[in-house]
Amino acid sequence: MLERDQIIEVLKTGFAKSNADQTELLLTGEDFSLTRFSESQIRDNLSRSEYTIYARAIKDKQIGIATTTGLTEESVAKVVDQACKIAKLAEPDPKFVSLPKMEGELKPETTSYPQTADCTPKRRAEGVKTVADAGRDEKLEASGAFETTTDYVAVVNSLGMERFWNGTAAQLSLTISGETGESGWALGYNRNIDDMNIPLLAGTAVDKAVHSRNPVSIESGQYTVILEPAAVGQLLLFLSFMGFGCKTFLQHRSFMVGKIGAQIAGENITIIEDAFNPELRGQPFDYEGVLRQRVPLIEKGIAKGVVYDSYYANIMGAESTGHALPPDNQFGPYPKNLVMSPGESTLEEMVGSIERGVYITHFWYINYLNPMQTMVTGTTRDGTFLIENGKVSKPINNMRIAQSILEAFSNAPMLSKTRTLYPQYSVVMLVPAMKVEGFNLEQAEA
Amino acid sequence: MTMELKDIQFIADLVLLRAKKQCQYVDFRFEEIESEGLSIDTGTLAPIDESTSVGYCVRVLKNGAWGFAASCVMDLGEYERVVDTAIAIAEASKLVAPAPVTLAPVESYFDSYATQVKIDPFNISLAEKQDLLRSWEALFAKYPDLNSSSGFLDFRKIYKYFKSSEGSEIDQTLRHCGAGVSCGIVKSRRERFERSFPSSSGQYVSGGYEAIATFGIEDNIERLATEAVAMQTAKPCPTGEMTIILSPDMASLQIHESIGHPLELDRVFGAERNFSGVSFATPDKLDKLQYASEIVNVYSDPSFPGGLATYGYDDEGVKAARMPLIEQGKLVGYLSSRETAARLGRPSTGAARADGWSNVPICRITNLILEPGSKSFAEMVSEVENGIYLETVASWSIDDNRENFQMGTEIGWEIKNGKLGDMVNAPSYSGSTVEFWNSCSSVGSRDEWVLWGTPNCGKGQPGQNARTAQGAAYLRFEKVKVG
Repeated sequence: MLERDQIIEVLKTGFAKSNADQTELLLTGEDFSLTRFSESQIRDNLSRSEYTIYARAIKDKQIGIATTTGLTEESVAKVVDQACKIAKLAEPDPKFVSLPKMEGELKPETTSYPQTADCTPKRRAEGVKTVADAGRDEKLEASGAFETTTDYVAVVNSLGMERFWNGTAAQLSLTISGETGESGWALGYNRNIDDMNIPLLAGTAVDKAVHSRNPVSIESGQYTVILEPAAVGQLLLFLSFMGFGCKTFLQHRSFMVGKIGAQIAGENITIIEDAFNPELRGQPFDYEGVLRQRVPLIEKGIAKGVVYDSYYANIMGAESTGHALPPDNQFGPYPKNLVMSPGESTLEEMVGSIERGVYITHFWYINYLNPMQTMVTGTTRDGTFLIENGKVSKPINNMRIAQSILEAFSNAPMLSKTRTLYPQYSVVMLVPAMKVEGFNLEQAEA
Repeated sequence: MTMELKDIQFIADLVLLRAKKQCQYVDFRFEEIESEGLSIDTGTLAPIDESTSVGYCVRVLKNGAWGFAASCVMDLGEYERVVDTAIAIAEASKLVAPAPVTLAPVESYFDSYATQVKIDPFNISLAEKQDLLRSWEALFAKYPDLNSSSGFLDFRKIYKYFKSSEGSEIDQTLRHCGAGVSCGIVKSRRERFERSFPSSSGQYVSGGYEAIATFGIEDNIERLATEAVAMQTAKPCPTGEMTIILSPDMASLQIHESIGHPLELDRVFGAERNFSGVSFATPDKLDKLQYASEIVNVYSDPSFPGGLATYGYDDEGVKAARMPLIEQGKLVGYLSSRETAARLGRPSTGAARADGWSNVPICRITNLILEPGSKSFAEMVSEVENGIYLETVASWSIDDNRENFQMGTEIGWEIKNGKLGDMVNAPSYSGSTVEFWNSCSSVGSRDEWVLWGTPNCGKGQPGQNARTAQGAAYLRFEKVKVG
């Protein structure tokens, strides 16, 4: 457990060792525990404390970056010295203007819960036991991972920036499966572990597994589909990778290029980057210490903008939106808290509106086909069902998708009014279920 | 090194002494990883990044259940806390561990291993490395139609110290080098073409700075740029069932995804079911399944010189050795850890690796060697009436049973009547693993064989990023669905 004052003080000792014009020290870290299980048995079970300090030194617009896992004053001094030496060898970057100054105050908000931070391995094991027992009567096995983490971020710079945040999260993802290939999946994510309903998650996955026995194949084609929130989140994440950051936008690698102000999705699609959403409560500032802004990315289907850090904001003549990643990254600024607006339907109403279609729990191995066209491929997984006459009728074999995400988001007449938190690759999303018409599904050869 | 060996040994002894009293097995691993990355992007050098990661972990087996704890904090109180945490975790694991873990036996070793290098990359000045990147960029600059160009250099030095309660004490110093270039051209708001070399993720090897010159980057930039420009007017890839020839780097990905991952024994037993999936290659198929055509022979060999997964010992202290996986097309082995190997009653193949001090070792792809055949690329092409040659990985996706896959490449060329024909853009192909590998009709010769390094293989919960290698020459397959 790291304390604010202790960390800020250690980081600030680095300024005395710097001969740069501007110096920044960033700490990212986690106290992380994870219990992993398969075949209804705990297999890997771990706890770790891992912290990284990044020093960024700028001298005459020459930038040097060095990192260390040492938390002592001696380590900080060494990493600052290393960054200063590297800066001397760098080419001046005329596009660099300045590190950000401290602006705006953080609203005091609780994102750290002792119940989560202090969760014992015994409590996680009991959760796993609940999951393992849930499918036993149906002769189903459980696998998954139950993790709890406390994340830390602290930033100081020589212009007076001083920020600290810590937040907890508990996450349980689980798959219930059987010998004949049936499987069901569920995921829960909460900052407070007490809010996690493990029996409900387990029951959902068991139900899916039981109902996915003896699947049939359906022909390749375009289908009306129901995407559960996780499936929507997986598509949204790739959409974000392909276009919501300023670097890709500037490099003409983003589908948003030339589209700002244009209709690129259905009028019911609004996607906001919003760390302060009350359900999400993400890290409130970026890795430069800049407070995160609420950034409309797509509003009523119209492309509105991308996110910036201080470097790219300067190039674009804009203000940083507070979306810097740690300084050693190659990706530029990116959103980490994506919120999609809800619709007005229940899941039952959405299914009930379909004469013949496909119900998709989530996807596996989404990857790009054509980023400029937001085309991706991947396969369905752990609960794919045929919908007939407004009801989920029978399980079907997994299908491969070949789909433009924006086309899908342009043909989504119904969204659910309830939304789910879905985390993936350090991005947390708040997403509804979605009905999509004309979704491309291919038989997966196997 | 931030710590001397005697200090590391002191921590190891302290940890083992404290844990051994209560546990049936204990191992301690210390790692110090130094990394240096330089890159250039369309004429601008990116900030140089140097990083050091130092930490240690303790893994215990108590009453047949695992516990693991790791920390980067170096002090006496923390060492004791980490040991006690690992033990408490093992005790909790036992609550849901009906089948006790057993470990395949392993010899005890007292040994040191180091990657052989002629030139230590960390002794080359940053200025010299920057000059190399600028020289590549200058070659791209001759092509004004390009919208982007980039290059990178990546160096890593990994020091590992391992000590177990079974008597092994091993230290290893591994050195990795990587480099690559790419360029891009925007045809329209909906079309952008990329060309990369040596592959889309460059090339990575175990070795010293001298390896970079062997990649041939400088000699291929003109070709890359010319191809990128030409791709704007290239015709779309034809579709249908046809013969395909894969470039060695594409063959490497195919081996990685559809032979390497399916044969990770932890995945086979279901450890990845909730994340990266399972495998069709279940133990009942061992020594029976005709996985590939008879000309395909694949083995794991982390002792093979120069691979990105070349090491002396895995992270359980198992000595690196050649282990057959596919012989004359038949499935004969797996990539295993001590725990998974014991379940088959076989010795570990030395494939248990962690991506650093903060993670548990899991079954990983090692150096996977597809033995070279006899034919040159030119001979392979000459035998094709109607087909396509596919080069450089662009996209890949495979289902959670490691069967149905779809792969995309940056570029391709038609093959008509034994000759390479028109360039095509955005090619892709798909198939089902066993059927696909059984359609392999030709394996390229040793002269064109390359051991490709993959620096970013993801697996596990929490996610781990392994460094693997796949050795391949050109491969030819029949009746493959293209497009």
